[in-house]
Amino acid sequence: MKVFVLGATGYIGQRLMEMLRNTSWAEAVGAARGHTLAPGESADVRIDAREPASLAAALRGFDAVINCVAGSARSISEGAQSLVQACQAAHCARIVHLSTMSVYGPAQGLLDEQAPLNPSLGWYGRAKCEAETHMSGFVHAGGEAVILRPGCVFGPGSELWVGRTARWLHSGRLGDLGTAGDGWSNLVHVDDVCQALLAALRLPVGAQHAPAFNLAAPDSPRWNEYFTDLAVATGATPVQRLSPRKLQLDAWIAGPPLKIAQLLMKRLGMNPAAVPDPLPPGLLRLWEQHIRLDASAATETLGVSWTPYEEGLQSSAQWFLQNSNRAGTVIEKPLWTH
Amino acid sequence: MISSASSIPHGALLEADVCVVGGGPAGIALTLALSENGLSVLLLESGFMKMDGKTQSLYEGEVVDQHMHSPPDKYRQRRLGGSSAIWGGRCMPFDPIDFEARNYIPHSGWPLSYEDLLPYYPQANALAEAGRFSYNAEEALGPQVAPMIRGFDSSRVRTSGLERFSCPTHFGSRYAKRLQLAPGVKVLLGANCTGIRLQADGRAVGLIEVSTLSGKQFSVRPRATVLAAGGLETARLLLASRDVVPAGVGNHHDVVGRYYMCHIAGNVGMLTIHGAPDSVRHGYELAPEGVYCRRRLSVTQSEQRRLGLANAVARLHFPRITDPAHRSGVLSGLFLARKMISYEYSKRLNDGAPPTLGTYAQHAFNVVKDPVDTTAFLTHWLTRRTFASRKFPSVILRNRTNRFSLEMHGEQIPQARSRVTLSGKADAMGMPQLRVDWRYSQADIDSVARSLDVFAQEFERTGTARLEYNRATLEEDLMRFGAYGGHHIGTARMGHDERSSVVNADCQVHSVHNLFVAGSAVFPTSSQANPTLTLIALSLRLGDTLSRRLQRSPVLQLEEVTA
Repeated sequence: MKVFVLGATGYIGQRLMEMLRNTSWAEAVGAARGHTLAPGESADVRIDAREPASLAAALRGFDAVINCVAGSARSISEGAQSLVQACQAAHCARIVHLSTMSVYGPAQGLLDEQAPLNPSLGWYGRAKCEAETHMSGFVHAGGEAVILRPGCVFGPGSELWVGRTARWLHSGRLGDLGTAGDGWSNLVHVDDVCQALLAALRLPVGAQHAPAFNLAAPDSPRWNEYFTDLAVATGATPVQRLSPRKLQLDAWIAGPPLKIAQLLMKRLGMNPAAVPDPLPPGLLRLWEQHIRLDASAATETLGVSWTPYEEGLQSSAQWFLQNSNRAGTVIEKPLWTH
Repeated sequence: MISSASSIPHGALLEADVCVVGGGPAGIALTLALSENGLSVLLLESGFMKMDGKTQSLYEGEVVDQHMHSPPDKYRQRRLGGSSAIWGGRCMPFDPIDFEARNYIPHSGWPLSYEDLLPYYPQANALAEAGRFSYNAEEALGPQVAPMIRGFDSSRVRTSGLERFSCPTHFGSRYAKRLQLAPGVKVLLGANCTGIRLQADGRAVGLIEVSTLSGKQFSVRPRATVLAAGGLETARLLLASRDVVPAGVGNHHDVVGRYYMCHIAGNVGMLTIHGAPDSVRHGYELAPEGVYCRRRLSVTQSEQRRLGLANAVARLHFPRITDPAHRSGVLSGLFLARKMISYEYSKRLNDGAPPTLGTYAQHAFNVVKDPVDTTAFLTHWLTRRTFASRKFPSVILRNRTNRFSLEMHGEQIPQARSRVTLSGKADAMGMPQLRVDWRYSQADIDSVARSLDVFAQEFERTGTARLEYNRATLEEDLMRFGAYGGHHIGTARMGHDERSSVVNADCQVHSVHNLFVAGSAVFPTSSQANPTLTLIALSLRLGDTLSRRLQRSPVLQLEEVTA
């Protein structure tokens, strides 16, 4: 099977390429937007996913395409639209589209894939909902599509849910949040997402139907537990209990100047990592959102065998320690308070 | 979901798999566990999200000896979250010995073992936000941790034990959203259970009667009912429901309300530790998870068995606050500010005769003379307690002299004559009020004395410290404030024999197959431990028992059937 991977240089894309290359049945080509390639990154093809003609030319002869494109609202939504058009032009039969749990918007409770899509939670969720609509259009026009909706993808190398999170923990800006961190993390290991993407390539699908699958490890904990575990595993101890007020101040008062400073440094060609990561208000919403993905369909139909949470946690912590020169700092030191 | 009982039509009949009476830590833990297992739950909570004076006054009642027990409306809160709205947060499990039948403790022995409860403790710790289920200093704080008292090594006295502290978590506000979203759960606020109506044969609950303060009445017909109303209120409900069994539900053998226990507690003796002050760990330490922990002294289980001692612990404490001879500005400041502290927490700041003007003057002098320490203490208190989300658990003084009193907290030996009964008065709902007749025995005092003797012998043998206490005033020291407030234990005790117990090992009332009790009312013995963590663990276990018994039912949903 010839597989074309869009977004092959991203966190998930890179791991996916590795796993595809290790199969006996897939022949994979990875692509990324040329202008976003950083030194050291490599992709087989550089294309602009929003340009249907060039994309169609690239897709010719491929059996399937996996869409892992991240980025702005436009690259997500219009990118998906171009992809659909390009696949139709190039007779590429199947799209495996990586969506997100953000398509469920502010919904709470245990959600399976039948839950209605809700684009009301900001640009990201809206763009991802639009992208899914384009996938439905593709299916109605005779194509095949499989949609995957992962929760928060973590594992070694995850900047978003391990690197940045651990830095917040080490700087005392994150910890045990009480009710503000009582939402389910819906963490899913990057390997499990790639496993699901591979299975989706070969999943038999009926006509006029784009099956969707939630991806979240069934043993993924609530955010407070993850933050505490990651803090302990990386030595950010003793874990602090933070009040919702402190979090709000960090996000709303310190957030904007930090964001601006980061953008400025990027513009000036300096390393934005020197500025502390701003705490996006959207995350505060997420951490207290009691949304729990029901991923039983992925277990049963895609046959995903989930990486145990503890294993993902430890390997993630190890990656963080190795990459932040904090190795050896994990000592369980009690604090004598009086 | 959470709604008000006033939204239910008068005369309605509600159905659910399980009706839980009482939304404190036991009821909330149980309800969430049942929901996870697919059962529908109706949780009846008398109070609301906030304290309500009228509802709280439903707790009023009589106390036989006011010196021995606080009024029944103190140390209890009738609201969602129950008394966790005001608790101190001390969390520790019972010890294996607590579950054993000990021939030297009359009426001891649980129908279940420590191992039966052990699987539920870690989740209880999580719900109470007390960190890991780890109660050994080296395991919880790390292998390099300093000992409680340097140089003290004993096979008779354990010093590696820890107690952990909750935030303290208010279960009502902390878990409201979980309850709101839990599938199949309906929480009714302002819903007072006024009666357990048995079927004519007395073998099953027919209806649970509910009233609101405004006079609305409706009933619940559940497949199973769990009373989780607290150690006092559960007995009250059982005793007051007497239409089928005149002595009260489950009370064929006059056991309901008897064997009432609290804890034997007080500050005693003078411990002088030799060596430098930094060789002692007397205050709070933070575990990696950020939870406050504190060391404690206890006589080992084998030594308790050998000597026939009731279970007890001791913490290193400061001298009596009321006596200005301690010369501590912090303690004197606390004494002077005691009127600003709630009843529950100021009780032990008021002892003996009313203070004279001279006493006040001496306390004031202590504060003025000790400004640096007093200011440092206040700053610490404000940042670590008043404005902190995880609160510094209690007042700890800097150890300058290596002299302490011992804060004892001991098991009370169960006795049938210590009991609660119904009084002649009724509350606003027409429910008979409670009459509390708490008793302790000389054996309780004697056991504490002999534990202190073991401590003293071991301190002397190791040459680490000297413990002196006055045996003649020990009873007065331990009973100065009467029963330790807030721990209401044993009024619907658990056992195999219905002649001497109310519920079986499954927490089911012996004679009623679908009526259960959650909470410290079922504890047959009281342990050294505060009851909350164990009553949460036991409630989680009851959740499993009920889920197994009831399975998922396709028929019974939360429906209103207007009668």
